Amino acid sequence: MRVVAGRRPAQDRDGSAAARAGARFTLALAAGKEAGTASRMLGTGGGTCFPGTVARRIDPRVLQKAAAASGARKVIVSGSNGKTTTCRMLAALAQASGLLVTQNRSGSNLLHGVTSAAVQGTGLRGRMAAQLLLLEVDEATVRLVAPEVRPEALLVTNLFRDQLDRFGELYSVAGKLAAAISALPASATVVLNGDDPLVASLAPEAAARRLYYGIRAGGSGGQVPEHAADTVRCVRCQHPLSYRAVHLSHLGDYQCPGCGHGRPPLDVAVTAIRPSPGAGAEITVDTRAGTFPLRLPAAGMHEVYNAAAALAGAMTLSPGRPLQPATARDALAGLRPAFGRLEQIQAGSRRVVLAFVKNPASYNATLREVLRQPGRKHVLAAHSNTSVDGEDFAWLWDVDLERLVPRLASLTASGTRAEEVALRFKYGGADPALMRVQPGRADALDAALAATPPGERLHIFAGYTPMRELRGIMQRRGWAPSWEEQ
Amino acid sequence: MTPAAPVTVRICHLYPRLLSVAGDRGNLFALTQRCAWRGIGYRVTEADAGDAPDFAQTDLILMHGGQDREMRVAARDLAAKGGPLADAIEAGTVVLAVCAGYQLLGRYYAPVDGPPIEGLGVLDAVAEGGRARFIGHALVECDPGPGGQRHLTGFENHSGRTYLGSGARPLGRMLAGAGNNGEDGTEGARYREVYATYLHGPLLPKNPWLTDHLLTRALAHRYQDFGPLAPLADQAETQAHAASLRLARRPAGRWRVATAAVSRFGRPPAPLAGRAHRHERSLAGKGTAWTSH
Repeated sequence: MRVVAGRRPAQDRDGSAAARAGARFTLALAAGKEAGTASRMLGTGGGTCFPGTVARRIDPRVLQKAAAASGARKVIVSGSNGKTTTCRMLAALAQASGLLVTQNRSGSNLLHGVTSAAVQGTGLRGRMAAQLLLLEVDEATVRLVAPEVRPEALLVTNLFRDQLDRFGELYSVAGKLAAAISALPASATVVLNGDDPLVASLAPEAAARRLYYGIRAGGSGGQVPEHAADTVRCVRCQHPLSYRAVHLSHLGDYQCPGCGHGRPPLDVAVTAIRPSPGAGAEITVDTRAGTFPLRLPAAGMHEVYNAAAALAGAMTLSPGRPLQPATARDALAGLRPAFGRLEQIQAGSRRVVLAFVKNPASYNATLREVLRQPGRKHVLAAHSNTSVDGEDFAWLWDVDLERLVPRLASLTASGTRAEEVALRFKYGGADPALMRVQPGRADALDAALAATPPGERLHIFAGYTPMRELRGIMQRRGWAPSWEEQ
Repeated sequence: MTPAAPVTVRICHLYPRLLSVAGDRGNLFALTQRCAWRGIGYRVTEADAGDAPDFAQTDLILMHGGQDREMRVAARDLAAKGGPLADAIEAGTVVLAVCAGYQLLGRYYAPVDGPPIEGLGVLDAVAEGGRARFIGHALVECDPGPGGQRHLTGFENHSGRTYLGSGARPLGRMLAGAGNNGEDGTEGARYREVYATYLHGPLLPKNPWLTDHLLTRALAHRYQDFGPLAPLADQAETQAHAASLRLARRPAGRWRVATAAVSRFGRPPAPLAGRAHRHERSLAGKGTAWTSH
């Protein structure tokens, strides 16, 4: 027998390396898809980031390859608050202008969740059916995701102080976002909330085109930021900022009396806000593509910012047929609220209103909305220390619960941190006779509903995990549709 | 803030805008509510940079945590009003100083990046920045005075390491958590009526005995013949204190956050689970600008 020693020709070897790389990519896609199907069938929660984990283990560059191979436009939405709703609105606007959209699941906004979405939206031949890959990305993860995805547009909603034990400080998160923006090419667009002093001044030297959105309507707020406000000093000279109008926390029309640095000129500006009959709001938005009179299904200043962000994001899409004001109006008016965003559930003869609260800014915005309706409030407040929700609930003391307390009819404190929740309400001035501590979620729901007279509303304010648990209980009781069905 | 009452505590909240992170104002709520529930009057003066509060007419001063940037602004301002503040401290004015506030009363704080920040120097303590951050539930055993040995429960989140000199004694001994520097088992500092600590956020609501101790000392500072405080129904406080104590005493409580996230990583549903994981990794990262407090 003859042993043939020798090497294959170099060209052949390269070809096979490329083939192997291609095969690895295909295998990663296939395994990721299988993992998604399996985890859905096992009912482990919809398979939100498992497929991405599996696919990345096989091919660490799977996201990069899928993004590069797809002909889709890539848009990343990031920031502290409003990412999910902004993405829902932007997707609706994109679909209304004829684009097919692939998105990641709300909350699955880290590297593996984003990879899952890309894997599941990509065929085994590496092509993506969608024309828009819309990604909600955690603000500290953007710097990892953006270099792989190479987005045509990056949108930043706002920067609020989050739970410190998970996030480090505001400025270090801002620094990471600025690095991601600086790395964008000149052909990309960065869409920024002009009303947020820290966001508006992210990476001023970056090559990417800048598009600012904000609110130009007057009289919607005071002139002093509320307690939870984060960035109230000038980012350039540290002098306290003065505001012509404060719309939400530290968001507004600001100027620095020290160095003159102020809000940039707005490209997409909300010029009028009116409550609409029933629920929701009517807003007017001026853009370079014309004036958009929009109807928002939910009211509140944060919703106005989300809509302005989505419309500004839509301006970067340049679809085959331009977005018409009437189409945009229909697209937004027809949206249902996202998970836990003031969703209403009929629980027998009582109505439950869910509010997912994760930091002082989102909590205060929700409180303002709830207190707009007259009457005393029955409340179930639940927080848990989990790896998802964080360990430290100190931020609860920065929420302006003092606004709610005078109108409190009953309070049930729940979650693994039920005692801390009850203590916060006590020091907010709540009468201990109106409060009960019930750490178990099902028991708490029963107690809170029992305290709510028939025909009245029970307001649930909860962190991510207890909200999922409470909603799951209501789902099993047949009161609420499954979250995945929505 | 409150109608004149025969007995009034004069509280000065120093740098309420500059130095206030994650629930620090809970301490103010605890002091004022526990006065109000007893019919004791209180007056709160908020003094930010540029203001000149009359420390001689103050019984209790609060200084909380902040990020490095804000701490520098406060340090510059403190250089201007430091004399009267140091005099008031020497005269027995009660001070609760937390995180950055604690460091500002010491000799200096030297962050990992950036020049050192000079402190008031009333506390014989120096602080240095560290790469790793101490985050977690903490339990301290302390003996603040005639009340006897008591447990202080809270949450620490700091990269600064404080080392005490012979002129200051610790606030207490760590039973769980890192404390001043993660090495010598001490936490916080005591000097005259200064109570300094790294336990941030709502420390006083969960530890009503410390709140009442501070109020008692502040009232004693103003009124020579002030008797013991009336007892209050502290059921919610007791429950929250016990819950916080359980968290601190969990096996391996300190690193539970990170390890839970790592073990969950990639397992649905874990929408945000990667954050703690990433955070742990970033402890080893270079050039990360963490907060000082």
